[in-house]
Amino acid sequence: MTSPIDVEGGGTSVAVDDAPQSQATSEAKALEGRSPGQLMWIRFKRDRTGVISAFVVAFFFLIALAAPLIAKLYGKNPYTVYADVRPELFDSAGVPIKPNGGISSEFWFGLEPGNGYDVFTKLLYGIRTSLMISVAVTIAAVLTGILLGVSAGYLGGRADYFISRVIDFLLAFPAQLFFIASMPVVVSLFVSPRDETPVYVRVVALILVQWFLGWMSLGRVLRGTTLALREREFIEAARVSGAPPWRIIRREILPNVVTPILVQGTYLLPNFVTAEAGLSFLGVGIVEPTPDWGQMFSKASTELVMQNDITYMFFPGISMIIFIVAFNLLGDSVRDAFDPKTAR
Amino acid sequence: MSKGGRHAYAAASVLAAGALVLTGCSKGGSDTGDNKKQDKENAQRQQASIKFGDAADSQGPAPAVPGAKSGGTVSVPARDSIAHLDPGQIYVSNESQIAQLYHRGLTGFKATSNDGTKHEVVGDLATDAGTTTDGGKTWKYTLKDGIKFEDGTPITSKDVRQTFERLFASFINTGPTYIQQWMANTPGADYRKLLPDGPYKGKHLPNTVLETPDAKTIVFHFKTAHADLPYALGMVGYSVVSQKGDTKEKYDKKPVTTGPYKIESFKSGKSMVLVKNPNWDPKTDPLRHQYVDQFNVTFNQQYEDSTKALLADSGSDQTAVSFQNSVDAGNLSKVLSDPKMKSRTVKGYQPFVGQMNINLSHPAMKDKKVREAIAYALPVSPFQRAYGGADAMEIPGGIISPTVSGYDPSFDPWGKKEKPAGDAAKAKKLLQEAGKVGMKLTFGYINSQEGQAYSTAMAAGLKQAGFDVQRQEIPAESYYDQVSKIKNNYDIFNTNWGADWPSASTVIPPTFDGRVIADGASNYSQINDPKVNSEIDRINQITDPVKAAAEWEKLDKYIVKDVINIVPTGYFKQVQIAGSKIGGLAYDDVIAGIDPRRLYVK
Repeated sequence: MTSPIDVEGGGTSVAVDDAPQSQATSEAKALEGRSPGQLMWIRFKRDRTGVISAFVVAFFFLIALAAPLIAKLYGKNPYTVYADVRPELFDSAGVPIKPNGGISSEFWFGLEPGNGYDVFTKLLYGIRTSLMISVAVTIAAVLTGILLGVSAGYLGGRADYFISRVIDFLLAFPAQLFFIASMPVVVSLFVSPRDETPVYVRVVALILVQWFLGWMSLGRVLRGTTLALREREFIEAARVSGAPPWRIIRREILPNVVTPILVQGTYLLPNFVTAEAGLSFLGVGIVEPTPDWGQMFSKASTELVMQNDITYMFFPGISMIIFIVAFNLLGDSVRDAFDPKTAR
Repeated sequence: MSKGGRHAYAAASVLAAGALVLTGCSKGGSDTGDNKKQDKENAQRQQASIKFGDAADSQGPAPAVPGAKSGGTVSVPARDSIAHLDPGQIYVSNESQIAQLYHRGLTGFKATSNDGTKHEVVGDLATDAGTTTDGGKTWKYTLKDGIKFEDGTPITSKDVRQTFERLFASFINTGPTYIQQWMANTPGADYRKLLPDGPYKGKHLPNTVLETPDAKTIVFHFKTAHADLPYALGMVGYSVVSQKGDTKEKYDKKPVTTGPYKIESFKSGKSMVLVKNPNWDPKTDPLRHQYVDQFNVTFNQQYEDSTKALLADSGSDQTAVSFQNSVDAGNLSKVLSDPKMKSRTVKGYQPFVGQMNINLSHPAMKDKKVREAIAYALPVSPFQRAYGGADAMEIPGGIISPTVSGYDPSFDPWGKKEKPAGDAAKAKKLLQEAGKVGMKLTFGYINSQEGQAYSTAMAAGLKQAGFDVQRQEIPAESYYDQVSKIKNNYDIFNTNWGADWPSASTVIPPTFDGRVIADGASNYSQINDPKVNSEIDRINQITDPVKAAAEWEKLDKYIVKDVINIVPTGYFKQVQIAGSKIGGLAYDDVIAGIDPRRLYVK
């Protein structure tokens, strides 16, 4: 990749009239120091796919955050059972009478066959639930990965051996099976016999089980990077000058592992989104009436919806495809921007 | 028929990826339900309640089915495998239905119209529906001439004696228990003390209970009047067992049959083949035909699968018909809106009635205003929707359904027919009067697909009225065990109950008699109302079935409107389809499904 500095430098030689002055400015520009972050930002801005993906992803996070506001302006919420509130819009089996799931100026994305929830607000709130859970899992997994990965790499010896074996052990777990088996157990830990299982318990349980098996890949990458950094001269120097290990990790190592953290983080998040959707699809994640992305897929796969309102599937389906593709492209772009030398 | 447990695992959703049609557009729903028209039809059904036929009605052969011809093989897909072949063990509706083809009892329900809506009780092996001279305490039956088992031995009163005596043995444990209890004159399981080992250790029922003076005559003696005996004897569970061929437990694998078909092979969970029984004489049978050569039954066919196969109508599916399977909820409107399917479709009532029990053992539920508020607020439309709409479920009035004598279509105490989604405003007012706005209401629901769907919408309706609804999921496998515990946490929960024969004496006493409250008993709401108890005893003594039916309906109204321990949530119906070459298709209200006895191949 050509540096912009070279281009500007080449261009100035054409201007002959006030050569010294121009020479001076270009010199100043050439000498301007750029942090790796700035360099990354410049490279990223030139990657059109990355920028578009970033906007798409930002859009999803924005509507997720603003879901209650949008629903308020739109005048509906995802909990109203329209099949009972507006029975004239449905037949007795709960299938919307109008074609395409009853899409109209009033219900933009139509109504869900069955209980007749409003699909537009249900999708907004579903995205909100799924993204909130996934972001929480990502943050938890990244923090755990940093803590265990960096300490394993830096401390070495017995600690490294122990943490690495734990990582190996957890990596060997069949994740999806573990989620399905452990979700009801974790939920039942919190439930009192007379009350409904509160939504937050399910959310916390989802975060816990996904976090438990979600941090290892990042932890491993960080261990390797730290292991390599540990032997570098500047760390040696810090150690010789008497800096305590905590300060070395904080000031010398962490700034140098930001790249893998960011890159891995952007790969982890869409994985967690699909995993969460998968659990809700299988009926062990978020359950009705709480809106959830994955649960909308499970609704769409029922015979009632498949036979009567195939349109329904397109709203959660297409939105999720767009989101996952955009986020993965963003992850690639971030990696390219940080580390242009490695091949994909 | 106890326990709608068979609904528990209904319609497990299958992701049929191959069937996904990526058209991008979908048609809207079709409105097929019309409650008012249905009420009218029900009222007409009701006018013809089931009478006892005389000797002329009981004579064979059965009236010919128009256009019927002999021959051909019919394949029968079925979801649930048959668990029992021994008549004494047969109680579940899908077993009773197919057993019509190979077991015969003293009486039977004869369809007197070709659409299967009108019936009378006639003598099947007996010459008439039974004669009594003292108002139902003594019943006399005479066997017909020329009746034989499949092995050619004639059926005598000895076989009938064996049939009833073996019901007291401990290995008979899943069949109906009405007649045993009447003979022993005790409720519950104590009847076995009358003849603890059955007839197998040389002991027999005394002549004061069951008398067989000669080879053709059987006389039942009861301590109290039981006018329902001809109905009860029509249950497959009381079909005749061969004394010579009785192999006790092994009889369940290989029974000696009496009907027009015999069991050639039976593989549990897989298949069953029925072939013609040459020793069956049509002249003795007023109920059954023998048009088809062979029935090939295959088990483990889900509702979605059998519906799709029958809709496709290719190859051997053209001569296929399922006795048990109904059209699944997802395909229902597709089937009903297709004009080509009309001649291949039958629909009708199932005996089951859905009811939301209000647990009277909880102190909070003892306030009548609260129960009234629940009754007004509870939406029943979600229940109808969850099972597939107006053709799968009817908005109910009382607990006596259209299949039971005494049904009153105008009874609608909580205005559910006008407002199936509930009346939240009225309920809220009642709740305010009781000072209980925001009270906690624990709602136990079955975690089937239907249960998930209707419980969320019902909870939304109750919340509107001011209840703090706590939904609690109960696994489908143990649902009835959980809710029939005396101490359970649920304030409200739904159960289904079906009549065993078209009389409310098989509905109200088992579910509302306060003296039978026990762990595992079917008095789910734990009602113990002195008036209900005494009325049950009084009406059980009435020998005129028409008068008894009217009295049961009065008691039904008292329970639903004044006691309010339950809120009816739906009358189960079903739609069934057959292949294009199946003739004689009719929905029989008593069998509660396609009548297998009159089918032929076109």
